[in-house]
Parts: sequence; structure tokens; C-alpha cells
Amino acid sequence: MRKLDISKLDVLALMRYDACTRCGECTATCPTGGEAQDVELVTPRGKILRLKEFYKSQYGMRAKLMGPKEIPEEQLKELASRAYECTICGQCKTVCPAHLDTIEMWENMREFLVANGLAPLPAHEQIVKSIENYDNPWMQPRTQRSRWSKRIEKEVKIKDATKEKGEVLFFVGCTAAYDPNIRDMAIDTARVLARAGVDFGTLGNEEGCCGSTLLRTGLLESARSLARKNMERFEKASPSVIVTSCAGCYKTIRQDYPKIGKVDARVVHITQFVNELLESGKLKLDERVEGVVTFHDPCHLGRHNKLYDEPRKIIAAIPGLKMVEMERTREEARCCGAGGGVKTAFPELAQKISTLRVEDAERTDADFLATSCPFCYQSLKAAIETKGSKLKMMDIMELVRLSCVP
Amino acid sequence: MSDGRYLNDRARLYLLFFGAVVVISAVILLLPYETVYVRDEAYLDMFLVTIVVCVAVFFLGTLYNVLIWMHGKGLEGTPEGRLLRLLVKAARFVLSRRFRRIASVFAKDALYLSKLKDRSVTRWAMHLLILGGFASMFVLDLVVTFSLDFLKYQPMIDDTGWAKLWLRDFGFDLVGFLLLLGLLIATGRRFVVKPKMVRTELPDAASILFLLAVVLGGFILEGMGIAGEIPGHQHDNAYSFLGYAFSLVMPSDIGQHYDQAWLLHGVMSALLIAYIPFSKLFHMIATPVAIEADKMLPEVGTA
Repeated sequence: MRKLDISKLDVLALMRYDACTRCGECTATCPTGGEAQDVELVTPRGKILRLKEFYKSQYGMRAKLMGPKEIPEEQLKELASRAYECTICGQCKTVCPAHLDTIEMWENMREFLVANGLAPLPAHEQIVKSIENYDNPWMQPRTQRSRWSKRIEKEVKIKDATKEKGEVLFFVGCTAAYDPNIRDMAIDTARVLARAGVDFGTLGNEEGCCGSTLLRTGLLESARSLARKNMERFEKASPSVIVTSCAGCYKTIRQDYPKIGKVDARVVHITQFVNELLESGKLKLDERVEGVVTFHDPCHLGRHNKLYDEPRKIIAAIPGLKMVEMERTREEARCCGAGGGVKTAFPELAQKISTLRVEDAERTDADFLATSCPFCYQSLKAAIETKGSKLKMMDIMELVRLSCVP
Repeated sequence: MSDGRYLNDRARLYLLFFGAVVVISAVILLLPYETVYVRDEAYLDMFLVTIVVCVAVFFLGTLYNVLIWMHGKGLEGTPEGRLLRLLVKAARFVLSRRFRRIASVFAKDALYLSKLKDRSVTRWAMHLLILGGFASMFVLDLVVTFSLDFLKYQPMIDDTGWAKLWLRDFGFDLVGFLLLLGLLIATGRRFVVKPKMVRTELPDAASILFLLAVVLGGFILEGMGIAGEIPGHQHDNAYSFLGYAFSLVMPSDIGQHYDQAWLLHGVMSALLIAYIPFSKLFHMIATPVAIEADKMLPEVGTA
């Protein structure tokens, strides 16, 4: 009989499972369990109740008196699979009246599933291997990581932070570095930083995956090893500020790295940094960008880090650009559907959710759908194209670059 | 972890647990119950045995639930040892200057349910009525029992004393009424309106119906007391406004069944207490504890 090892569940998580009131507030707005497919077991309440039922049958008072109960293997596998249908967007944390930190709960639940041999899912194993072998989830060689910068090497001076000390370290992230459709995000960010006269560099081919994918899929040990390597690189480069343009990298370096080691530099997202440049007058947005834009709050930036105003302030500072909000915005913003490994393991589900988000944006009659996360950008752009929407997907740095680089 | 240390932790924890159960049982058994109006003392004895057993089951169930928490990661030692250390820490925390912060978090998030209010006033009111009614009844019960059985406070004993009329009669009816109102909204929502977010399984139905039966049973019992002119229940006592309303539809000879009804209500209330750790009602304990534990940790999640 398989006895579940609950020693990988946090003490706080176990408290929270009991603290769930079963009210169902989370089920109505859960993008994967509630809105996209209406499956109770995918919803926060469903997952909590099922897992609690399982471990209580082996550790509760009845189990103490009459012995632990065997849990059918297929039920355990079903729970594991359903648990990975969650994007860890944190909408449930926003709405939970019992104040449960569900983001931590889901990440911890996946760690528990991995520890009990029920995860990662086969679809995630390839990504894990890619990260372990190539330091990126895209099966791309390390030598190609800094290829994006070739296009602007004559225009922008990017220091090699492994050799030359710079004030700011731009942590590019795997998606913007490797995906040819997203590379412009890295290029635009570099051009904006150069325009403001920022003394910055990158780790070039030495930059490693931040580990976000591994953390979100429950592979903590592998993620820690990646984090340690990156922290060593940060220490050698010794920048004052680390700027990330990826919301996932930002969350990981800012929130997860301090649990593993020490990051001396201030960690900021590019939207925070550009705001500082605008406020100090180092960056001027003079060129008009005509159009109406609506902004999609990336979960890792918004609900996970409470950064809602920074992107909006940037948009407001761009002459000619008019901002309209979607009905579900800021804390209530619908997820793009890609996070938490959902896009890899359940691409159809991810697409369904990103289409819902594009429909949210279409209802505003905006010309542009902007965001500040390469992963959201990737999935929303795909949904726009599949749907044949008239919306144009934009990264917020593209808008800034249009306004400041003639 | 050595076996000796493990056994030592277990022994200390269970000693503490049984000590608490013995003290509470002793208090329950030694109270004089001079103002309990049940005429046949055998009923009182049956109730006392039931309540002592139920309280012990409540504590045992709670202990096992909390010991499950202690299996998790983040602490060192045996689950029993972890719990003992946490109890000491919690006691120190309560006595520290940070208590004000704990209390304000408790009041705002666990009692006032601030977050729920922002999402739905109806659901907030419903939950607040149930929680507030339940908590107020518990506090009122303690105050009344203490002033009756320990202080022998005469205005609480005399039929026309201000405390008897306003606290025992009106006070209990008021908080009971609030609780009943909340439960009726919850029942209507769960079984009649059935919004999509509400999922009714056996534990949900059992908890709400159990609570409803106990609360309604209390008013019916009071109505029987008033209609049957049982001592302590004046015939025209409108202070007990809801019990009085029930008494109006009851025959005057209903008082002869008062003892049986009293025992039934008492046993149901005791069983409800025992049921808490094994039901969804355990969130009454777990939610405030989780909220407090969360708030006491340093915040790293916000920019």
C-alpha cells in the first residue's frame, strides 16, 4: 500500500487545507477549473478537498484507530493530473474569504506530488530535461542565448557583465532570448535602456534559466541548483540593480531566490525601472504613438507581486496613446492561460483561456493589447492570430521604444 | 530523532491534553446547576456524561487534526514535539507586545470577514450572522454561567432581575435569532437558490442541518418552558421574544415533556461540539489560526 508522504506539504499548507470553508468563491473565477471547462477537481476547492480526503484517510484519527486506508492509484494520478491543469494565476487567492495563500499552496502541492512520485507529468519531463541539459526550456544550445543582441550590436552598447562591471544587469530570460517571435522584447528593452543612458550589461550566454518553470512544476531541488548558479553569476557581476523584462523571472528572482540564498542587488521589473527613468527625467517619451491600448496584467507581476500601477503609468506617459481597461483588470484580471506548465501539458486548455482573454480585450475596442511578460505575449498573440482578431499584440517596451527611439 | 525524545514528547503532549480534558470535565461536573430547570436529575446526569464525553472527543479530534499539520515541513522534531514548542511560542506571542497586532488581524479578517464583505454583502451578512451569533452565544453562556454558579449574582437569578431579563432572556434570544437568521439564509441559498458556486455534499448538508436543529431546538425548548410555566420561564415573558412566540402556539400541558426535550437539546448540542473537528465546521478553528500564522510571517510577496 502506498502511504502518502505529507512531510513535503508545508505546515501552513496543511493548516490552510483545514481552513478552506468550501464556500466555492474560488470556483466561479478559476480560469481553468471554473471558466474554461467547469471541472470541480481542477478548481481550488476541488483540489483541496480531494487531497485532504486522501491524507486524512491515512493520518487522521480514524487512521490512527483503524489503520491507514489505501487510496486507489488511479485516483491519485487523477488528482496529480488535475493539479497541473492550474495556471497558478492566483485569482483564487484574490477571492478567498479565508485569506488562503493559494499560490503557495499549489506550488507546494506540486512539490508534494513530485516527492510522492506522482509528478512531473510526462509532458513536463522534456522541459525539465531541456533545462537540466541546456539551461533553457526551449531545447536550444547555450551558445544561442545572446543571439538576439546581434541585431543591435552596432546601435546599442551592451556590456558583457561576466567580464565588465555595469550598474545594471539586464536579466533577459529564456523566452525573450530564444523565441524568434519574442526576441523584439529583449531588443526593445535594450534600446530603451540605452536611450536613457543606462550603464547596463547582460550575462550573455552565461545566463541560466531562472528556474521558474521548475519551481512551478514542483521540482524544487533542480530549481534550487539553477538558482544557486545564477546567484553566483550575480555575485560575480555585482550589479546594483537587476532588471528583468519577464514577469516570471522577476517573481522567481525577487521572491524565490531569497529563500535559497542572498541577492545583494535590487531586483526590479522593467516597468518599475522605466518608471524610475521617467520620473528622474532620464528617459523622455516624445514621439506620439497613436491608438487605443488595453493592458493585460500578467499574473506574476500583478497578483503575485502587486505591480499594477507601473505599466499603467508608462502607458499614460506615452503621448497619443489612450488607455482603456478591460472589465476584468488588475487583481481581477483573467489569466492568459499559459502559466504553471498548462501550455506545455494542456495546450488546448491554455488556448481556450487565452481566447477568453483576447475576447475581454476585444470588448474594449482597443487597437493594441499590451502586456509586460513574454509568456503572456506569446499565448495572447497566438490566440489573436488563431481567432483572426484585429487586435495587435504589443509588449509595453515596444510602445516605449516607439515613443523614445526615433 | 531518538526514541527516548520521541516518547518524551508524546508523553508530555498527551499529559497536557488529558490534563486539559480532566480540568474541563471537572468544571463541568462540579458546577451546581441550581438554575437548570430540569426536574428529573437523571436527565441532568445523562447530559453531563454526554457533554464530558463529547468535549473529550472534541479535544481529541482537534488534537489529531493539529498533529496532522505538524507532519508538514517547516518545523523540526516529532509532530508532538513541534506542537508542544508551538504552543509555548503561541503563549509567549499572546503575552507579547505583538498581541495587539494579532488581535487586530483576528478582528478584521477572522471575525469581521473584511474580504468577504468586499465580494458579496449577502454572503458576508450570512456568514457574519452565523459566526457572530455562535461566538456571542458562547461568550454569553460563559458570562451567565459564571455569574450564576460562581458569583451567585442575584439579578441573574431572580425572575425579575435586570440581568435575568436582559441577558438570559433577551440576550440569548437575540444572539440565537441572529444565528437562526444566518442559518436560514444559508439553508435557502444551499437548498433553494443553489448558486453554481455552492456544492452540497453530505458534510455540507449535515453541518448546516445540525446547527439549524440545535438552534431551532433551543427556541422550541424555551417555548415549551414558557407555555408549560416551568420555573424560570414566566408565562408572559416577552423578553424571550422568540421563545415566547413559539410558546403561543404550544399547549399548556407541553411542560410535561420539558425534561425529555431539554435532554434532547442538550445531547444534540454536545454532539455538535464533538462533531466540529470531524466536519467542515473545523474551519472555525483552522481559519483564524491559518490567518494569524500567515500574517505573522514576514511578507516577501509584495513589491
